Formats: sequence, C-alpha cells, structure tokens
Amino acid sequence: MADETLAPVPTILDTFIELLPEIGKAAGETGLMMLICLTAAVIVGGALGILVFLTSPGQVLGRYRRFNLVANGFINVFRSFPFIILLVAVSPFTRHIVGTSIGPLAASVPLSLAAIFYFARIIEQTLRDVPRGVIEAAEAMGASPLQIVTQVLLVEARSGLILAVTITAVSFLSYSAVAGVVGGGGIGDLAIRYGYYRFQTDVMLITIVLLVVLVQGIQFFGQWLARRVDKR
Amino acid sequence: MTTQNTDSPALALRGVSKSFRTPDGQQVGVHPTDLDVAPGEIHGIIGFSGAGKSTLLRLANLLERPDAGQVVVHGQDLMTLSPADLRTARQRIGMIFQHFNLLHNRTVADNVAFPLRIAGADEARINERVKTCLEFVGLSEKAGVYPAQLSGGQKQRVAIARALAPEPHVLLADEPTSALDPRTTQSLLEVLADVNRRLGVTILLVSHEMGVIRRLCHRVSVMEGGSIVERLTIANGRIPPDSQLAQWLREYGDAEGDAEEAAAEPAPQHLLSEAAHG
Repeated sequence: MADETLAPVPTILDTFIELLPEIGKAAGETGLMMLICLTAAVIVGGALGILVFLTSPGQVLGRYRRFNLVANGFINVFRSFPFIILLVAVSPFTRHIVGTSIGPLAASVPLSLAAIFYFARIIEQTLRDVPRGVIEAAEAMGASPLQIVTQVLLVEARSGLILAVTITAVSFLSYSAVAGVVGGGGIGDLAIRYGYYRFQTDVMLITIVLLVVLVQGIQFFGQWLARRVDKR
Repeated sequence: MTTQNTDSPALALRGVSKSFRTPDGQQVGVHPTDLDVAPGEIHGIIGFSGAGKSTLLRLANLLERPDAGQVVVHGQDLMTLSPADLRTARQRIGMIFQHFNLLHNRTVADNVAFPLRIAGADEARINERVKTCLEFVGLSEKAGVYPAQLSGGQKQRVAIARALAPEPHVLLADEPTSALDPRTTQSLLEVLADVNRRLGVTILLVSHEMGVIRRLCHRVSVMEGGSIVERLTIANGRIPPDSQLAQWLREYGDAEGDAEEAAAEPAPQHLLSEAAHG
C-alpha cells in the first residue's frame, strides 16, 4: 500500500501563527488609515458640520444663507459618490499630494475626503438636538458665536458627538477594506488577497473575526463613553 | 446716545415694530409700540396667546431685532451698537425663560458661572458671585448637582441665579412661572420680588397668568393683536374696575383666582415637598 501518511492539515491556529507578521503589518496599516481619516474627519469635517449648523435658517449665523447652501451642496455631492468611484476619481489628486496612488498613505486621501463630508453631515444633525432655547439663553447673556460653539454646542451635544465619532470609525473601518482594492493595504486588503484571490477561507475567517472584534470594541467603548458624559 | 440720569427710564422701547410670517402664512408681530419702564419698577405685559407679548420682550435685548425703532437700555440705544458692543450690553441685561434653558451637562454652579465666564471674569470673582447668587435663591447646597436632578421650581431658581450673576440692572422674564404649579409659582414670585426689592433690579415680565401680574407688578401693559391697548397701574394688587383688563377678567374668568382658592386646600404631597425644597 502506498504510504497514506499525509502532512497534517494546517489548523486555523497554525495559519494564524504563520500569518502573524502579515496580520500585524495589516493591522498597523489599518490603524494608520483610520488615524489619518478620523483626524481629518473630526477637525475638518467637524468644523464644516458646525458651520453648516450655525448658518442654517433660524440659527445664530442664519444670515449667511449662501454659505449654508453652498456647503450643503458640497457635502451632498461628495456623499453621493460610491466610495470606490471616489477612490479612483481622486487618484490624480492623491498622486499629487502623496506622490503615489498605492499604499495606506495614498488610500488615506480618498478615505479622509469621504470621512470629512460624512462626519460633517452627522455633526450637523447631532447639533440639532441642542434645544434652540439653550442657545438663545447664551445669546441673551452676550455669548459670541465662537463661545456658543465651544461652551454650549460642544458641551450640550458631547455624548451625541462621541457617538458620531464611533459611527464614523466603524463605517470607515469597512471603507478602508475597499481601499485595499487599489493596494491600500490593511486588514481588508489581507482578506481580499489571501481569502478571496487565493481561496484561503481560514485567512478570510481570521480577518473577519479580527474586524468583528475591532467593531465591537469601538462600538462598546463609544457607547460607554457617551453614557458617562451625558448628564441630561 | 443719551446720557443716563435718574429720571430716564431703565428700559425704553421707542416706536419698535417687528413683523414676521408664521409657517402657515399668518402675519404676526408687534406694531410700532412705545414702552417705558422706570428704574426699580416691575412691569408686566399681559395678553392672550399670539398677542405679541413675548416678541415685545425679546425686542428689549434684540433677541428679535426690530424692523424699526429704538431700544434704549440705560440710555444706550442697542440698535446702534456693533455686534461686539451689543454682546457687552447684553451681559448686563438678565433674562429668564419659561423652560429655564439651563445647560444640562453643567452643574448648577457652572450654570451660574456661565455668563461670567463668557464675560471673561476672573475665577475669584466668579466663585464669589456664584456663592452669593445661589445663596440668594436658596440653593447653596445644590451647587454640585446637575439640572436633571432638580425640580422645575429649583431649575427656575438656578436660572434666576444665573441671570443675577453679572449684576444686571434689568431682568427680562418670559413666562417665568408658566411651567410651574401654583405653589411653586408663589415661592418663585417671592424670589422675583426680592430681586426687585433687595437688589433694585428693574423687571420686565411677560405672563398670561393674571395672578402673577397682580401679585408682582407695579404697572402692566395689556397687549392685543400686536399693540399695547391699555396701560394700568396696579395698586395693592387691584385692577382698576373700569379697565379693559378688568372687563376681560369678568368675561373670561380669572383662572388664577381659582388656583389661589385651590392652594388654600391641603396641597398634594408632591406639591408640599416641592414647596419645602424652595
């Protein structure tokens, strides 16, 4: 009889250990993309969202109607792009500022663009939860628009704002996987390269479990923090 | 701009008007109106819903900017001020609201400190004013709690303390007791009377409750359809019997009179505990 002894079938744990360096690198790339795009979203998108809110009719800077219309239009246009189209469409711009259109840094450009407008819209809607009367009371006390933002809006809406960051982080964790398609790297890219192109289902499973854990972690932490700061 | 002297009113609206359209297309607002409030006076504005009372009050600190006219507070025409100067002027005009409008994510002490922080006061003065004002409204022991833990009457007291913190000369009160029950209303009116008597603050108050006007105000302006139709002096809580206001009270009943009778009966437990808090 022919020798029936086969090499032992690698378990999912073996694969995991073997791929550990790859997974570590991918996780690092995902972390980098998330850090860049969330920072851009919170700073630029947050400012844009606050301005759109302040200039909406009946609000403190409601007289800047034209700015409101233009900014709203901009947000809508960018939010209409399917992410993968945006990724390709802005690649000349990406190459211009990063010098290349592949890799996690390059992928961070379209990710940041999408995140900025996504976050701006969520912030604008979150701020609507602050009662008009409270803003009005601050106006009556002589608060400037900047003081209304920093001492009323950001304070009163803070738990909603934390949830807005949470939701953006979860969404863009999955968007960053799409960026893998153009060589963006990251956990999603790993899933596509090994799991999809090479039919290595165990790798696919590992990455999915990793993503599930990440999403649960972000969501749990965000909700915990939001509850903690809410005194309403 | 005129210089202030003792005879000049603390607050004067001269020919102010404001018109706007409600979402369902109705034209509402205030027709050109004059109103003088003397220093140290408690002046009431009463009228039916939609008479323009709150709009008139909100013209007094330009929360609504009048279409025309002058708004003179302490001899300063607010209409001529730059945005920055208007903000400075507003720091000395207190305001309280029907729904209190406290910051929910800040403690009672931080709420009272708010107008002073905005004005850039130093911490020592802020601490001193917060302490004084909370003592004045009887809520010193609540300094560290959040507004959600307070009753309605207590929230309005915090709002009064907040309005008093920058030592205003004028206090605007927009239906300050309309969200409160009769007992709490009574004790809150005592606080407002104290604000006027002990601190000499001029008060312009809007209410649709006759009892509030009668117990608190020295003079009252009666509004209907965006105009002041009658100006009365209230002596010892009496409405002159030949006035339009007295006629309305006969016609539509004095709802507040009923409430006063009700208050004479044993009050339900939760009202008593509310009164005890106050």
